[in-house]
Amino acid sequence: MIQIENLYKTFQHENTSTTVLNNINLHIQQGECIILKGVSGSGKTTLLSMMAGLDKPSSGKILIEGEPISKLPDLFASQLRAKKIGMIFQHFNLFDHLSVRENVMIPLIPSGLNINEINQKVTQSLNLANISHKKEALASHLSGGEKQRTAIARALVANPNIILCDEPTANLDRTNSLLFIEILKELHNLGKTIVVATHDPLFDNVSFSNTIIPMQEGTIVEGTVVNE
Amino acid sequence: MLNNAFFHFLTLQLFKERSKHIGIIIISVLILFLLSSVLFISSSLRHSLNETLQVQPDFVISKVQGGENRATPLTWSNELLNIYGITHVSPRVYGRYFFKSKAKSFLIVGVDFLDEQAHKNLQKLIENIDIKTFLTQNSMLVGEGVKEYLAHNFYDKSYNFLTPKGEFKTVKIFQTLPTKTNLIGNDMMIMPMDLAREILGYGEDEVTDIGFNVPNPDEWTMINDKVSALHYDVRVVNKKEVQQSYEHLYNYKGGVFLMLFLILLSTFMLILYQRYSMVHSNERRHIGLLRALGWSIHDVLKLKLLETLSIVFISFILGVVTAYIYVFIFSAPLLKELFLGGQNLTSTIKFTPVLDFSVLSSIFFIYALPFISAVLIPVWRVAITDPKEAML
Ligand SMILES: Nc1ncnc2c1ncn2[C@@H]1O[C@H](COP(=O)(O)OP(=O)(O)OP(=O)(O)O)[C@@H](O)[C@H]1O
Ligand SMILES: [Mg+2]
Repeated sequence: MIQIENLYKTFQHENTSTTVLNNINLHIQQGECIILKGVSGSGKTTLLSMMAGLDKPSSGKILIEGEPISKLPDLFASQLRAKKIGMIFQHFNLFDHLSVRENVMIPLIPSGLNINEINQKVTQSLNLANISHKKEALASHLSGGEKQRTAIARALVANPNIILCDEPTANLDRTNSLLFIEILKELHNLGKTIVVATHDPLFDNVSFSNTIIPMQEGTIVEGTVVNE
Repeated sequence: MLNNAFFHFLTLQLFKERSKHIGIIIISVLILFLLSSVLFISSSLRHSLNETLQVQPDFVISKVQGGENRATPLTWSNELLNIYGITHVSPRVYGRYFFKSKAKSFLIVGVDFLDEQAHKNLQKLIENIDIKTFLTQNSMLVGEGVKEYLAHNFYDKSYNFLTPKGEFKTVKIFQTLPTKTNLIGNDMMIMPMDLAREILGYGEDEVTDIGFNVPNPDEWTMINDKVSALHYDVRVVNKKEVQQSYEHLYNYKGGVFLMLFLILLSTFMLILYQRYSMVHSNERRHIGLLRALGWSIHDVLKLKLLETLSIVFISFILGVVTAYIYVFIFSAPLLKELFLGGQNLTSTIKFTPVLDFSVLSSIFFIYALPFISAVLIPVWRVAITDPKEAML
């Protein structure tokens, strides 16, 4: 469950300050799939990175399963991120010099699990994301769709409750985008809470998404579409 | 904490990014090699110097004329014996013998082989020698450098010295001095004192100088004054002055190298620092990404610290070992000429291996501390900022 209350984010640059997020209020229930929709610059990435605790709000609060992620000391915030949140980035953000398998194990390295336990989880996750046939390939040698699936496997490996996706289909062709939506559906069926930030029209009619939230200039506009 | 998955990832990082590390390791090894070589040479020289001085007399007096040493009357040694506090008075005969070309010279050292006390100082050089056979004919012991040079000029068994009187004196090469005495013994020809007198042109009651000991250090100044007052033309030199002047020389040369080295090191650290603090470097992105994937600041710093330490240790071992081989096995070609330049026969000198823990640890700290901080400070600064750049 994610609770966002009166969230503001302002960037200061010398004398000018830009308000990027303007009084955001959102309650996302466990198992919900939310689509944050808005044009470029509307603040989607900023909002997502704050949910993951990668950036701090100027004011307001964000609770991840009851915990104020932006206010926790680094060690606890990192643990929360490692256990509860899986991230899929717009540019996949893989380590190019490592193989698929090695990329996927990264979130588990500080967990204290031993290497056998980690390998087990990695194998499961690779299967789930349908990329196990490429597990020894170098990340830099993968196609866009394969990189995406590696990123998904990495986001899933710690079995988090929350999956945050930033423009997940921006670098994919239509076929791979549809495949990604299929995977999201499976994750939804597994009961994960999913937040997707996108301006891709493909997400307009996804059957399993309860809510599409339109964003504009840092605010959530009226007229939230709720699929029943 | 340090579970094996962490080390697994560490070795993975080191191995997979080896192309990134190899350049740094090569430069590090080079720097460490230079630094260790210089420190090895200077500590070995200092060690040999101390060993040499240990067997030298505390004081040496000689006659001077116009600032130059002249033949010293043997009678002076009797006067020394009358001064209370002086022991082990030993008249010495030595000097350089120049070959016709003048390009080469060797040190002739005359020894009174029958006087236990006198040849005690040279004991290390002449142990294992059958003195009785040695004394039956004109013979000498030569250092390896001398032996080589003479053999090269077809004098395998003996050499014909030309005395100042214009006569030839044939002296048999009895034996070679042991290799380990090379630093001092390399260019030496050791022979009976009378023979040395003849070849160097001293009269029967003349010596080069006279050494003596003063066992009580508190009496050194007093004795120094007393002996100086004996004759108007006496020069008194004590061991401490000799040691100081040598150390001065070695320290000076070592210091020049150390300066050069520090300049090199600081340039290198600057490059490292820039590399790791570059605003959009891969490094920065990697750190942000690790943090975004649930690594804490502590985890990131631990990884980078261990990564850096591994590089430091690999470089340290490689640099020090190659320097050890270069200095103590190959006798430091090039560097040796710079250190011992001007001395005869430097090419055959071998350095005595001295592995001093304080030298090793100072090498380590001079190199490792700046290195580790040059890498970790920028890494730490990136790690503590919010990792939202990972999203971009
Ligand atoms: N560090 C920053 N300093 C100043 N302004 C920033 C900073 N980061 C983001 N912004 C601004 O915040 C606004 C929202 O950015 P954000 O990346 O959240 O948009 P977005 O909706 O994700 O856009 P896109 O669809 O292009 O990814 C933009 O106008 C951007 O210029
Ligand atoms: Mg964005």
